[in-house]
Amino acid sequence: MTRQAFMARLREGLYGLPPTMQADIVADYEIHFNEGAAAGRSEAEVAAALGDPGRLARELRAEAGLKRWEVERSASAGASAVFAVLGLGAIDILILLPILMGVASAVFGVGVAVLALFFAGGVVFAAGPFSGLPGGPAAAILAGIGLMTGAASLGAVLSIVTIGLVNALVWYGRLHYRLLKPALEPQMSGGVQ
Amino acid sequence: MPEAIEIQLKKGALELCVLALLSQHDSYAYEIASQLSESIGMGEGTIYPLMRRLQNDRLVETYLVESPTGPSRKYYRLTEAGKASFGSQKSAWSSFSGAVESILGGAK
Repeated sequence: MTRQAFMARLREGLYGLPPTMQADIVADYEIHFNEGAAAGRSEAEVAAALGDPGRLARELRAEAGLKRWEVERSASAGASAVFAVLGLGAIDILILLPILMGVASAVFGVGVAVLALFFAGGVVFAAGPFSGLPGGPAAAILAGIGLMTGAASLGAVLSIVTIGLVNALVWYGRLHYRLLKPALEPQMSGGVQ
Repeated sequence: MPEAIEIQLKKGALELCVLALLSQHDSYAYEIASQLSESIGMGEGTIYPLMRRLQNDRLVETYLVESPTGPSRKYYRLTEAGKASFGSQKSAWSSFSGAVESILGGAK
């Protein structure tokens, strides 16, 4: 592979990362080629020794996704961390996908139930006092508040569980596959490309 | 499966090797990569994701040094946390490899 082809495939793989990070990474590899040339190695030799640019990009992207998840516990950061780990091929997707779908839909289902409970609490709170429930208006108001706070705390527990699940997946992916494939590939493929 | 064992060993050892090199003297990625790829036979490109992770974990930090040939080089040095992590990983490694060594020595 030529230097140009290597860099093009790397850039392609990094697409979507923050521009400054892309520029940083690209500069690292450009410098590597420069250093290689200064040491008298050919472009093809350096490219072969570096390994598969697509996989390197996936690994760098996963690192960026995990970093973002560590500083920013948002749904989109969590999703991108999960996809980055999956993109690494860290976990056999055929085994994982059914489990992941099951877990994701369970989380979603509980989330919907929590929302429904919250709104039900709202309805009891607002309409209860006027519908002549046993116990009088005060009891209906209190029951409504109780349902809503219960739903809120269930929601909080649910987000803690979700964060924990994403962390576990990320941890597993990091532990399991970091550096494994790129360390292997240059020897297996012999850099033919 | 000797191949699988070899990969697992390299995987575990790579970070430790990088920390060990940096504990001797500050270095730049090309130098680290060429030293390690020669001696433990890993893809040179692997060094960049690893360095980025070490940087994210605040085990190393970077500074730029003017190079006589071409653009300035990005040097890596260990932070205090990096030195501490190297110390504990090194002693864990020695006690483990010592134990394996003594068992291997007993087997013919």
